Formats: sequence, C-alpha cells, structure tokens
Amino acid sequence: MGLKCLAQHYLKSTGPSFILTKKNKPLRRRTASLSKMEFVNPEGLRLDGRRPMEMRQLRAEIGVVSKADGSAVFEMGNTKVIAAVYGPREVQNRSQQSNDEALVRCEYSMANFSTGDRMRKPKGDRRSTEISMVIRQTMEACILTHLMPRSQIDIFVQVLQADGGTRSACINAATLALADAGIPMTDIVTSCSAGFLNGTPLLDLNYVEDSAGGPDVTVGILPKLDKVTLLQMDSKLQMETFETVMQLATEGCKAVASYIREVLLENTKQLESRRGV
Amino acid sequence: MVGLSLGEQTFIKGGIDQDLRTDGRKRLTYRPIFVETGIIPQASGSARVKLGATDVIASVKAELGKPNPSYPDKGKVSIHVDCSPTAEPSFEGRGGEELSTELSSALERCLLGGKSGAGAGIDLSSLCIVRGKVCWDLYIDGLVVSSDGNVLDALADAIKAALSNTAIPKVQVSANAPSDEHPEVDVSDEEFLQFDTSGVPVIVTLTKVGRHYIVDATTEEESQMSSAVSVSINRQGRICGLTKRGGAGLNPTVILDMVSAAKHVSEQLMNKLDSEIAAAEACDEMES
Repeated sequence: MGLKCLAQHYLKSTGPSFILTKKNKPLRRRTASLSKMEFVNPEGLRLDGRRPMEMRQLRAEIGVVSKADGSAVFEMGNTKVIAAVYGPREVQNRSQQSNDEALVRCEYSMANFSTGDRMRKPKGDRRSTEISMVIRQTMEACILTHLMPRSQIDIFVQVLQADGGTRSACINAATLALADAGIPMTDIVTSCSAGFLNGTPLLDLNYVEDSAGGPDVTVGILPKLDKVTLLQMDSKLQMETFETVMQLATEGCKAVASYIREVLLENTKQLESRRGV
Repeated sequence: MVGLSLGEQTFIKGGIDQDLRTDGRKRLTYRPIFVETGIIPQASGSARVKLGATDVIASVKAELGKPNPSYPDKGKVSIHVDCSPTAEPSFEGRGGEELSTELSSALERCLLGGKSGAGAGIDLSSLCIVRGKVCWDLYIDGLVVSSDGNVLDALADAIKAALSNTAIPKVQVSANAPSDEHPEVDVSDEEFLQFDTSGVPVIVTLTKVGRHYIVDATTEEESQMSSAVSVSINRQGRICGLTKRGGAGLNPTVILDMVSAAKHVSEQLMNKLDSEIAAAEACDEMES
C-alpha cells in the first residue's frame, strides 16, 4: 500500500451531498452511539462514501471581497471559509510597531449559523483565540516580513460553514488571500488533517469523524521547501501509527498545494488577459 | 478607507445635484441585485444578497421553544447581525459591535413591529404550535461579509429571501398528553411548510446629500451624507417602520417627501427582488 495515495484525485465522483442536503437533519444530532459506529465499513467506504485516503472536494475562488487588498474563499467538502487580507498598511497601535519587520495580525471568527447548533458567541472564546494565534504563527513563518518594516498585515478569517478541518481550510484560504494581495512569501502554506479510526488511517476528517474521539493530526507544510510549519495532534497514537498518519496528512497537503497553484495560475492568466497582455 | 479629497467630495456632491452619480446611476436607481438561496444547508433557510460590492448572508434557524407567557399564541423571532472583520478591518474584535447592534435593532423595529407583536411583517401567530406551551423560535442571523454602503437594505433583502427559502417542518402533537405537562411533539423529517413572506417588508434607505436625496448609497456617498431615513414598506404600500440616522435636522415636509419617494422606489425594488428570489429558488431546485 503505497502512500502515494488517492489524495491526488481530490475531485471525487460521489459527493457527500446526500448527507447534508437542505431537507435532511444536520449530522450533529446523531450523537447517540459514536463509539460503536463504524467509520469504515467492510467494503472500505467511509460515512460519506469516500475511500480512507481520499480527500473531500476542494473549491477555491479568489477576489471575493472587493474592498480588501486580497481575499479568497476556500471550501473543503462542506467546510467553507472566507479569508480577507488588509495590508501592508500603517500600524494602528504605535506601541506594537516594529522597526525591522511587518506586524502580522490574525482574527478567526465563526458565523452564528456555521455549526449545526447555533453558536452564541462568534468570537472571543478560547478556541477562536487559539486558532487565531495558530494561523498567525503559521503565516508569519512564510511572509517575508523584513521587506515591509513599520507596517501591519491583517488576516481575517470567517468560517461560514464548519464541517471538520476548519483550521486547515482557514490556512489554505489565508494563503490564497495573501497571494491575491501580492504580499511576498517564501512559499505557499497548505494544511490538511488526518486521523485514525477503526484501525485505518483516514485523510481529511469531517465533523462526525473528528468528534468520534479518535486522534486528529493537523499538518501545515511549505510544499516547495518541504518543511513542516504546523503540527497539532489530540488524543493518543502509537509512535509507528503516528508516523503513518502524519505522512498521510503531508501527502494531503501536497495535493492541496497543487490545487492552489492551479487556481493561482488560472487567476494570473485572467489578469493577464484583462490587461491585454 | 482612504479619505476623500476636497475635489472628490465636490465631484460626488455635484454629480448628485445633476442626477448623475459617480457610477452612472440616477438618484433613485438601485445597483444590480444578485440573490442566491439555500447556501447554508444546515439552516432552515438561507440567502446571500450582493448589492454591488456589498455582500451579506442571512440564515434562518427554527427551533422548538416555549412562548412568552404574556403572548401565549405567538411564536418568537430574534434577529442578530454580525459584522465580519473581512468587511472592514475596524470590525475586528469588538469594533463591529456598535454597528451590529444598530443594524439588529433597526431590522427588529422594521420587521417585528411593537412589543405585542402587533403589525409585524412576520406573522407570529403562524409560529404557534400549542397555545401557551410549544412554539417555533426563529433565529435570524445576518452576516456582513463585505460592505460598500447600504448594508441595511441588503440585510433586509437577504432576510426576505432567506424567509422565502425557509421550510418549517410539520409538527404532530400527540393528543393524549396531560394538559399541564409539556406535550409530546413529533417533528416531521419529510413534510415541510413553506414560510409565507408576502407580508415581509423591504427597507429603502434614502440618504440626503446636499439638497437632494439618493437611494442605495455607496460608502463614498455615505461619507458625504448629512442625514438618512430608512423606511420599511410592504407590498401593500404600507409603512412598517421608520428610522432616521445622522445628525442634521430635516424639515418635516422633506421627510414626508422622502417617504413618498421611498414608496415609489419600493415597488420597483419589491418586484425586482421577488423575481430574483424566484430565479434563485428555481436555480436551487434544478441543482438539488
């Protein structure tokens, strides 16, 4: 079983639309016996019809918020995220200004309607603060901040629909938005998550698989430089299994990276044709 | 936003005086409206409305709840707007709270009528299931994704579209429940009732710049305004709510004039919006 997986074929044939159509109850209400649930059935198919090493369908669009310097929408299956970048611009808080590099700020917020049960507090809770910090540190690693001293770059990420893997979708959307804003970076950052359920490593968990209580490994890499910038895991795993799962997530990241490059190339071609080049 | 120079300000005001705005529109013309429904699968109803560069999303969630003891035969509706920092960097953290509260209360005033629910655009009695015990709670959430002026009108349009997209499940009440206890309700998965939105009003905001007023102002035009009046009008041409914003005083005759202009504009807006919603729903049906 080579680890050059079906992740490359991210355009899957059977969409998960039968799970979450308008008329059906949202998946979240099915919390009765998650531990006894079969996440990979004997034929090797997961709950939404994917194979264990198959990613959800990816979709990205650049330039959705015309007021922002750069913006993008990124969808991974049912998880939909908008990122907007404002900057480089003058630092608002003089005390935080740095003389030799740009200040990178990030805010992560979830819409009230993004989760199955309506959220009361869209931002300011601990999970949002933690994810904001994680995204900021990840993007800071790849932005060439020394080229823009005494300035500030704001990254705002808004989750419209949450179905697992929001962290990864946010980082991917932020990368596209930064590229759209023309901010110099060493490499794009892509992120993907993987888990381990029913004895099988699974790529790109959705909300049901994520809340099953199994491990969830989120990896963020710089694909060209082949370096890991983000690595988070919860729950516990055997050391060998961890290596397998992390390798799977890294392959997923590379698949996302090739998709992102395609989208950026297409966008540049359109800009070229509009300028009459 | 970068400030406007004196030349740009004069240009905007002069253009409005001559009935030719910066983007070529007349004073009482709306920007093209683009409606998309059913974008949030987890909600009972949802819609996204784009008015030029202003982009807002509205979602409606219906949950079972207990009615207010003072109004036992009416359901409850609550409207909450959130301004995303993607629209404006100053909305980060708690910066957008002031605008969110202003928009939420303006929408509640225009759509929900008085405390007793009288004169509401949304018929609250249709949300009652068992008098005094069980009713539908509608949570309407708005999200401002991108703002280029006239956010209130866009939100009202989105709420109207989301409500027409809302499907409330049919409820079966078990007949043999004891009268004091909470009755058993069986929420159907299969059968749905479409929400009736013929009474839901739209909001038309008239912004006074100089000596004339315009409809659907962009952010630049709003920065030059002296005052604004938002009128909420329903299909029958009746006024459902009125809000005046901005510090400058207005002559009462001017306000009456603005209201009649709003009524005139609202007919075209209502027709355009209804046709866009119908087109969006048809698109949605074709896809699913």
